[in-house]
Amino acid sequence: MNKNFFEVKNVDFNVGNKTKVKNVSFAIENQGDVICLLGPSGIGKTTILRTIAGLEKLKKGSIILNGKTLSSENINLEPEDRNVSLAFQDNSLFPHYTIEKNISLGSERNKEKKEKKISLKEIVDLLDIFHILNKYPHEISAGEAQRASLARSLIMQPDLLLLDEPLSNVDQSFKEEIQVRLKKILNQLKITTIIVTHDSYEAFYLGSKCGIILNQELKQFDDPYKVYHLPNSIEVVNFLNRGILVPAKVTGKNTLENWDLGTIEGNFIKEYPEGANVQLLLQPEDLEHDDTSNLKLEVVDRKFRGTNFIYTLRTPSNTLIPVFVHSHHIHQHEVDEKFGIKRPIHIDHIVCF
Amino acid sequence: MRINFWYISSFVISLFVIIPILTVFSSFFESTSNYYQVLKDTFLMEYISNSLILLVSVLILTFLIGTGSAYLVSFFNFPFSNFFKWALILSFAVPPYIYAYSLTAFFENYGTAFTILKNLFGEGSYNQSIPKFDGLLGAVLSISFSLYAYVYILARASFLYQSQNIIDLGKNLGFTKFKVFYSIILPAARPAIVAGLSLVAMETLAEFGAVDFFSINTLTTGIYNSWIAFDDLAFANQLSFFLLLFIFALFILENLSRKNAKYHFNTKAGFKQKQKIQLSGKKAFLAFSFCFFIFFLSFLFPLSQMMYWTIKFPENLFDLKILDLLMNTLYLVILSSLMLIIFGLVSNYGNRVNKNKTLNVLSTLSISGYAIPGVILAVAFITFIAWFDDSVIKNLGFVSIKKVFIGSILGLVLVYFIRFYSLAYNGIKSGYEKINISVDESSYLLGYSKRKTFMNIHIPFLRNSLLFVGILVSLEIIRELPITLILRPFNFETFATTAYISASEDLLEAAAVPSLFLILIATFFIIVTSKYILRDYNE
Repeated sequence: MNKNFFEVKNVDFNVGNKTKVKNVSFAIENQGDVICLLGPSGIGKTTILRTIAGLEKLKKGSIILNGKTLSSENINLEPEDRNVSLAFQDNSLFPHYTIEKNISLGSERNKEKKEKKISLKEIVDLLDIFHILNKYPHEISAGEAQRASLARSLIMQPDLLLLDEPLSNVDQSFKEEIQVRLKKILNQLKITTIIVTHDSYEAFYLGSKCGIILNQELKQFDDPYKVYHLPNSIEVVNFLNRGILVPAKVTGKNTLENWDLGTIEGNFIKEYPEGANVQLLLQPEDLEHDDTSNLKLEVVDRKFRGTNFIYTLRTPSNTLIPVFVHSHHIHQHEVDEKFGIKRPIHIDHIVCF
Repeated sequence: MRINFWYISSFVISLFVIIPILTVFSSFFESTSNYYQVLKDTFLMEYISNSLILLVSVLILTFLIGTGSAYLVSFFNFPFSNFFKWALILSFAVPPYIYAYSLTAFFENYGTAFTILKNLFGEGSYNQSIPKFDGLLGAVLSISFSLYAYVYILARASFLYQSQNIIDLGKNLGFTKFKVFYSIILPAARPAIVAGLSLVAMETLAEFGAVDFFSINTLTTGIYNSWIAFDDLAFANQLSFFLLLFIFALFILENLSRKNAKYHFNTKAGFKQKQKIQLSGKKAFLAFSFCFFIFFLSFLFPLSQMMYWTIKFPENLFDLKILDLLMNTLYLVILSSLMLIIFGLVSNYGNRVNKNKTLNVLSTLSISGYAIPGVILAVAFITFIAWFDDSVIKNLGFVSIKKVFIGSILGLVLVYFIRFYSLAYNGIKSGYEKINISVDESSYLLGYSKRKTFMNIHIPFLRNSLLFVGILVSLEIIRELPITLILRPFNFETFATTAYISASEDLLEAAAVPSLFLILIATFFIIVTSKYILRDYNE
């Protein structure tokens, strides 16, 4: 008995004869869950969505939705028979219809659905597109077209909604608001959704699970907190641009030693034998600033990021370490100045490779 | 690969169009009658040299007229420049054979020119001093003034998309206006101009009416004669094979000379709309005069000549059953256009949804019908039906089908279909290229089947393209002569055949009425579609 609402099992995702992502398996446990797939451009995220939608054929593995096989080596349900909606990145509205007509075409499919959970007006209000309803696709901005396309997909109330970079063209100032609204509407309608994005913050906010796709593989599929704080491979660390790896030696059950920083305490997420040489992941929030500390490192660079500064510090062994400091911190350090690090160093989750 | 309705339809349509084309090519290897030897010893060289002279002269003239007028209306503002922009395509309404009738009618002994001189200056022996435009010269002028619009339209479209930036760059390098024209503007428009000239070349080599009227022996008239007089179809096809070689040789030459040069910009980014230069004084007058001269010679002159005769000999107007001719012409036009649009559409969609190599190759081959002269297609069609009837139908014991296809509306429409299929197919294809494939995919994802996507999404979107293709095809069918002449049912006449028959009986005055109607209907169609023909909807 298949417990998961949606499942991808050992699938190779191809475009023509070229394999883009190999041997992928992941599942969405409950109807209404939202997951996000993250990865660099051109890695095959869109191919995954297109295959799930039935627009690309599958040669290995299977895709199952609500107990029904959509694709496998022998089965290939036509896109129109899946009740899976895909909102394309380039919006693909029908150019000869107004926005209103475009959106209402989405509702035609589910006319027979007994309980209509959302009306055209509600969706239009939610995505703030009332002013463009009578316009044609070529008369509106890329961001508006993307919202219209999203509206068309949402009003379909599909069994599975696939969103390909849904907000990539929406203005930054408006993006967060739309993210909030989108999350609300997906929750309200209980639409199971897979979102593809390259914006990690968008993925962490919208998804209950995140998948990281790198080098033709699904490297990690976990909840956002774990993906962020407990990356399972060096590739994921590099992709998320989360700190650096420094050499260290395990000295006890909860301690390790670095030549530049001294003793570091915390909880290992994996067990290592005492004396093992490891690469310790140092994330910007792991080290705390303390002007009174005797552990001083040289400031190489300072980036102002609104709520905080990111200092880049050079250790005696010439390693560059990033450190977050709250931007209200009264004392700003200039390049070449010394910068104090609080001791003893304590890291909640010690991630080593 | 799943075989579906769309695949099969596309496959069958393409195959049908290819059959007569293959018949032409296959008969190249058949034995011929001794007519070949007779011809080789007598007129073959004349046919070839006449065809070559005609071709080269028409290409030079259409290049000069077409490119020159396109340059003027694209880059300059002068009195009536906006009017000339579309008026210069009206020459399409006058087929070469009607131009030939006008030319002869005006300049012949005691013709219209003579009458004008007599009315102005009184009686006199003007006939010796009036130049005669007949023979090869007459054919060159008739064909050139009728066909230059191909070069004009394509050159103008190409000029339209040239960015002001590259012209400014030329100026910045210190080029004179003339140098900017011949070293930047003209080379950049080269593929478009060559495409226009290729169309002119194909039409010229296939031209029958005007060449026949001036009694010039070319490969095309040779083909017609070898079939009519000697009943030697194989040799007719071999001659047409020669003719096609001419065209291919031209293409290859042009391609080789281009080497690796690129002629288009990859993106719209960096495109800057051109600022037209305002001409004044002598320059404005010269530009106006050039365009007016072309417009007058290509359109006003034949139109007024035909009107003059229609008014002068009004009895011809009543002799003809105009309504019958109109109904016959419209009947053919509507039937053929509908068939071409429907099958062109289905075939395009089949190719789009199946993305299959075999289908792709087949469609590419199927659009080569336009390069084969109408005379050949008609003859090949008759041969094919005769062969099919004799060796298949009769052997199976069925009643002969010859009458169903030969000398019938059905046969006529089928050969129009083969001849103009490429026009419909390519016209619809260029409309289809504007529909992103993700539009189809969105439609499937909205739950639309392939048929529903075709009916509810594509057809409404392609409405304008289909209308344009329909009218373009209609225009060709109204002007078409050899296929109609050969395949029409007994006593079934169109404006084109009536004009031809009167002219070939030396009754040019009688040819004026159907010619005038033909010009007027064609003009109406051109005006309706001028926006699309000139691609101004993108401007």
